[in-house]
Amino acid sequence: MEVYGKDKDLNAFFGLVSERQERVKRASPLPDMEDPISDLSRMLHPEGMRLVVSVVRDETPSVKTFRLEPAAGSGAGLPVFRPGQYVSLKTKIGDAWITRPYSISSSPSDVLSSGYYELTIQKKEGGFFTGHIWDLWKEGTVVDLSGPHGNFYHDSLRDSYDIVAIAGGSGITPIRSMVREIFAGDLDAKITLLYGIRTPDCAVFSEEFDMYAAREPERFRVIYVCSEPDDTWRGPAGFITASCIMEHAGDVKGKTFFVCGPREMYGFLDRELNALDIPRRRIRKEASGEPVDIASEPEFPVETKEMTFSLVVHMGNEARTISAKAVDTILVSLEKAGIGPDSQCRSGECGLCRSLLMAGDVFVRPDGDGRRTADKKFGYIHPCSSYPVSDLEIRIPLTGDVVTAKNGNSSWNSDGGTTI
Amino acid sequence: MNENIKNNPHFDSYYDAVVIGAGNGGLSAALQLSIDNVRVLLLEQHNLPGGFATSFVRGRFEFEPSLHELSNVGSGQDKGFMRKFLQDKGGVDVEFIPVPEAYHLILTDEGINIKIPFGIEKFIETIAAAVPGSREPLERYMQTCKETFGAIGYIGRMNGVPDPKVLMEEYPSFMVTAGYTVKQVTDTFGIPDRALEMIYPYWSYLGIPVNRLSFTIWALVLYNYILKGAHIPRYTSHGMSAAIDARIRELGGRTEYSTRVKKIFVEEGRVVGVETAAGERIGASYVIANLSPNIVYGSLVDDRNNVPEEAYRLINARKIGASAFVVYLGLDASPDELGIESYGYFIGASMDTEKSYKNFFTFEAPEMQATICLNRAIPDCSPPGTTILSMTALAGPDTWKDVRPENYVRFKQEFAKVMIDQFSEAVGAPLSDHIEEIEIATPQTFARYTGAFKGSIYAYEQDPWDSVVARSMSGPQERYIKGLDFAGGYASIGHGYESAFLSGRIAAQMALKKIKR
Repeated sequence: MEVYGKDKDLNAFFGLVSERQERVKRASPLPDMEDPISDLSRMLHPEGMRLVVSVVRDETPSVKTFRLEPAAGSGAGLPVFRPGQYVSLKTKIGDAWITRPYSISSSPSDVLSSGYYELTIQKKEGGFFTGHIWDLWKEGTVVDLSGPHGNFYHDSLRDSYDIVAIAGGSGITPIRSMVREIFAGDLDAKITLLYGIRTPDCAVFSEEFDMYAAREPERFRVIYVCSEPDDTWRGPAGFITASCIMEHAGDVKGKTFFVCGPREMYGFLDRELNALDIPRRRIRKEASGEPVDIASEPEFPVETKEMTFSLVVHMGNEARTISAKAVDTILVSLEKAGIGPDSQCRSGECGLCRSLLMAGDVFVRPDGDGRRTADKKFGYIHPCSSYPVSDLEIRIPLTGDVVTAKNGNSSWNSDGGTTI
Repeated sequence: MNENIKNNPHFDSYYDAVVIGAGNGGLSAALQLSIDNVRVLLLEQHNLPGGFATSFVRGRFEFEPSLHELSNVGSGQDKGFMRKFLQDKGGVDVEFIPVPEAYHLILTDEGINIKIPFGIEKFIETIAAAVPGSREPLERYMQTCKETFGAIGYIGRMNGVPDPKVLMEEYPSFMVTAGYTVKQVTDTFGIPDRALEMIYPYWSYLGIPVNRLSFTIWALVLYNYILKGAHIPRYTSHGMSAAIDARIRELGGRTEYSTRVKKIFVEEGRVVGVETAAGERIGASYVIANLSPNIVYGSLVDDRNNVPEEAYRLINARKIGASAFVVYLGLDASPDELGIESYGYFIGASMDTEKSYKNFFTFEAPEMQATICLNRAIPDCSPPGTTILSMTALAGPDTWKDVRPENYVRFKQEFAKVMIDQFSEAVGAPLSDHIEEIEIATPQTFARYTGAFKGSIYAYEQDPWDSVVARSMSGPQERYIKGLDFAGGYASIGHGYESAFLSGRIAAQMALKKIKR
């Protein structure tokens, strides 16, 4: 066998190394670390952001909007996001970590034109975290949060141009982001919004919505559906039922539904949407977060309801034993003990808190089981949607704060707790 | 170094070997080291093992992000390297599922629509039946490829130090072809052009055009796939990565995730330890890096004075290989309903590898796609009545560099639409009416999750002078720091799942010799 004659062929073979050496000799001796691809990746998905509250706006007696901007002189721009995405707040109150995801209620266009995010937060009755925010977040407060995340957004390749949005309570925030983006000209879609409110005075953003609806009724319509109307209420009353949807959104065929609201609303709406025979791909539902009352979920092992278990937590060579209530997610128990592993969605979906279950049994909330198939096989859990049903032993990934609590600053959440 | 080993509550103060990066190469190295009872610590910046060999969940779908065809698994009777290493030697709990055909090639301008089977004889027969006059040259061609395949196996068995006489006598075409490109060698066989178009699709697994690609690596890849067939792991690549991680721990190795290595310490030309991003210092007498030398020499080695100038010259002489643009679809109809009959498609206008390669660098919508319908290998990988499809195009590592954050989504959507339409037209599958989930990965996405330099998935390009052959012959001179070795795509064998596993095992075996215990 020869290709171009044996001598030539073997010269080519033995010439490989000398050609290589020639090329190496000619090349620059200076390290070139420029990597614009990773740079853009970090711009789009920063590990964390430190922002300052610039404006606080009262929306209703129990709802405030906080405008957040990069600290003066920080030089960092805010990442753009897709309307409907959320950020995760993480803070230490006393010895406990608290993490909460909040949809960004402003739009990506607001980032580009004015450089801010807005979070619109409803104060929960007796709520520990929202109470804390109400008391402490003022103009100038420094806030640490994650980069934007989440899959609740309109995708032109998947979703219809014609959107029916169904929002309940504070589930309005991602929808507001979408509406603003439509009117900024950067989201090519139209929206019919069915906005479920408890009482007439608790609609948030109604002035803005009414203004947009008046400006371009063919792009945006809003129907407030009030479940506890008073005598003056003229709009539709009750819950958002199949017939209510048909009446106000018209023929559902070919439309994409975006649904965001409290968990209780989902159970109800699932049945109503089912009755309308909408294909699954046409319904986008935002993750609902942790249930307020897990013990009332049908599959929950109710006999454990009052119990507290012992939880051995391995982090590298360290191990700690903490207590874990049956009705708290394992993530919450970790946070209460001052261990704040990375987490984002708190709904079982994103998998960031993925941990190894070494011993014991857990209850995994069935509608929050976003685990990979192999992870189920090899004993992994997502602590944000898992509850102990026995004493447990788990191994969690190391997080910056675990170490930096002792060693000082190195990761974004390492000193987040001291600033708000 | 020793006085610095403190403040590391999470680790022992010393390990025989630290492996940086739990990609296929790192997992493989750590597995081999733990089989050999070496005290090994595997550190990974992401919260999952696998690197590119992972999975992600959207709605009711779990997607395979990167793997198309895993080579050299072999059957239960005729085991290939992957099966022997992972299952037999490693005791890893992974199941391999065979892929039904080599590829389904659709070239719209050429009127080619042909399914190419595995098996050397069937491969030749299928192409010969489609292109008269191609049987005889193809038979000679595959024989040449076979000798290269055999030669590389022999060199491996000789631990990289072959007897030149044996090489010349038993694998005569190896040395006479190793200095050339694919085109230089292939053109001399007189294979009809139409048949060439049918055998070239796997070039896209290598990522540089046939007029530059080393013949050796090409012959190896082509022959390996056609001879041994291809497989994919049950439960996606994450099923394999999670299984290996579990086995390493079972064997007494230590793995830790969400832990980025920030520094490699070198003293007097020898590795002495690493430091994590959280500031924990860990002593080690050997470090295996499953990442790019650009990052290792450019920013990890603690003091650049510890890196000889030669190392930077070598990096700069080489060319970083392709990244990818991938569209993942979860569809609400079965493959039968959609008319998707095959597992792996290569679709384009024609098989012009130079033109396609140029297209990688122009930041225009991709012209070629390699598309996988996972359900055609594993029917129950998604719920009944659904389909998982992933469409891959290569992208030059720098082509996405000028994209601004505000335009990023728009470009993703535009390019994805072109690929979806191309597939729909070529195959006759109405994809747009059935998209339940869609995710789009760009070079930025790969950089984000794996830390890959410039988002490259193919490491350094394999021109003849930087082919596995040239790298192996230069190996000893290019080890710049004692106790520091590479595994994965950037090691000498190059990218690809099997190569990464091989490289990890080789690095581990080298380490074993050097570690004083």
